[in-house]
Amino acid sequence: MLDISQPTRQSKLSILFYLLKGIKGLIAFVFFAAFSMRSWNSTLGVIAVSAFIIMVTLVGPIVQYWFFKFYVTGDELIIEKGWIFKKRKAIPLERIQSINITQNIGQRLLGIVAVEIDTAGSKAKELEIPALNRHFAIQFKDLLGLKKQHLIIDSNVIETADSIVSNNDMTSTIDSKLILELSFIDLLKVGITQNHLRSGGLAIGVIIGFWYKIKDVVENFFGDIFESVDVDLEQAVKQPEAFGYSILVVILSAVVIFIIASIIVSLLMSINKFYDYKMILKDDHLEVRMGLLNKKEIKIPLSKIQILEFHSNPLRKLLNFKTARIYQAQSQNNIISSVEVPACHPALQSQLQHLIFEESIEQSEKELLTNPWSHARLDMYIASIFGLPLAAMAIFFQYYWAIIIPVCFIIAIGFMGYQYGKNSRVIRDDDFVVFYKGWLFNSVIISPVYKTQAIEKWRSIFIKKRGEAHLKLHTAGGSRQLKYLIEKEINVMQNDINNHVIQSTKNWM
Amino acid sequence: MTNEQLLSYQLPSIEQSSFEKHPKRFLNKKLVAKLFYFIPSLAGVIIPFFIVENHPWIWKTTGSVWVLLLIISIFISYKEFFVRGYVLRENDITYRYGWLFHHQITIPFNRIQHTEINHGPIDRYFKLCELDIYTAGGSSSDLSISGLDPDKARSIKEYISQRTAQHA
Repeated sequence: MLDISQPTRQSKLSILFYLLKGIKGLIAFVFFAAFSMRSWNSTLGVIAVSAFIIMVTLVGPIVQYWFFKFYVTGDELIIEKGWIFKKRKAIPLERIQSINITQNIGQRLLGIVAVEIDTAGSKAKELEIPALNRHFAIQFKDLLGLKKQHLIIDSNVIETADSIVSNNDMTSTIDSKLILELSFIDLLKVGITQNHLRSGGLAIGVIIGFWYKIKDVVENFFGDIFESVDVDLEQAVKQPEAFGYSILVVILSAVVIFIIASIIVSLLMSINKFYDYKMILKDDHLEVRMGLLNKKEIKIPLSKIQILEFHSNPLRKLLNFKTARIYQAQSQNNIISSVEVPACHPALQSQLQHLIFEESIEQSEKELLTNPWSHARLDMYIASIFGLPLAAMAIFFQYYWAIIIPVCFIIAIGFMGYQYGKNSRVIRDDDFVVFYKGWLFNSVIISPVYKTQAIEKWRSIFIKKRGEAHLKLHTAGGSRQLKYLIEKEINVMQNDINNHVIQSTKNWM
Repeated sequence: MTNEQLLSYQLPSIEQSSFEKHPKRFLNKKLVAKLFYFIPSLAGVIIPFFIVENHPWIWKTTGSVWVLLLIISIFISYKEFFVRGYVLRENDITYRYGWLFHHQITIPFNRIQHTEINHGPIDRYFKLCELDIYTAGGSSSDLSISGLDPDKARSIKEYISQRTAQHA
């Protein structure tokens, strides 16, 4: 058994790990130095600054390693770090929500893992032990889990010695059940059905960001080449005929390249993210493992799950699966508190729901519909912010035929808004509140009624006389809302949910 | 002793309860605070007035924009005061606020984590304070009721923590 009652340091490899991290910074510094310190006149100053930075990167890791200690005293886990600015974090064991083991590429190279301790209501990065042996980390995780369980048992005075024994038995004979394992074909399917627009946008963003960084350098070296291919844009706009079909060809090929690039990017991203995906039910928690370059191991206690979502898009509809997202009680800006389950077939969808919330959605008792016209109106207002200036420009330059473009744009957006509203609704049965949202990119959001923390109704003054309002449901795993419902119906639902929560004695997180 | 069964639809609805208003001096505080906010931006009027002398239209436009914004925001604060209110019931607290964007939020006591009383310098001058109610998870469902009488805030806080302790 592991002994962590004494202050323990991390694996010695952590020095190397910190060094790797430091070197990233060093490279950035070298870039910075090469391009911006040319204007500095004194060579001595440059050398001094460089020497200082190099010293810090080399010595820093050792200091960091030496002063990073963690141990368990009583019922608290204590993490100490820092030399000049000392930090000491004490985490009550019973507050620990989940313990995750992660591994990024640097840690992978060194054969170490990070242990992240997640509590509700604190910044996650603070509670990370970044460099441990895998063997040590697994033992550490189990030990913390065990200690936590003992604490909870101790605090329940009513429970007798028998139940403690039986509880110990339960922990020793963990029965685990495989829920989902992704094959490579599944992985490809998931990749192909990602939102390509988003990955394309992401790729463009990265390229543009990178381009601005290296623009000066490239132009220094290859400036002449650029000048020779510089197209006279003004000429092109004034006399499109002069260029003939070449502009059309350029645009078309740009679109094709964009589409192909986006598909490749989303394939690569999803393979990297979901490689070796495995979801296992162990006792009363789900264990999820995934990742190629950055490995992730996440443990979610079933009772902490607040919201279950299913997302779809036209491509996924074709292949008849959705992506599920599981949200647990979250701490501030903690991304890991939502877990994705890709390639969810209908059978798995109902299995997941049954597993997590134990009951299935029955015939709905109450249904709230949104007003599609209100959605269309708002979307058209927003679209006109961009559309009207375009139309004005077209009139100013006397290209009257071009007015059609913004008009079509606004109408299309309005139509999409109408469809969104038409396909969105909230239903509530005995145990669940379910949001159905969206048209092509639709999602289903399921949350048990008793997990609601607060319920909010809001409206702007402009929709007051229409008798409409928005409903917002707050849970410990985040807030969900649906707009433009009928206010009177919201009032009924609000009272209903609130009274249900008041009467509920179930543990909600 | 009675112990009647309660079904959730039999419980009273929020609309039936009467909302408690904030003390009148909260409105004064709001107006004064608004004025304080606007004083720094007065620089945008004064500086052109003294520096750009041959273009008087600059300070005239910024000045009128400043006055317009001030009037609008004071009008909104004034309107807002009359829709603001809270209801404390046996098992939950409801707060409503906002005129342009009106919100009404209900938090049951068995979902409250902790409560806090805060007051700033302007609050202290007007003998007011702010009651913050925190729930678990993200901060989206936290509630902050500003402009309460200190004694009242303390008694509400007392009441809430008593009720939450029963559920914990």
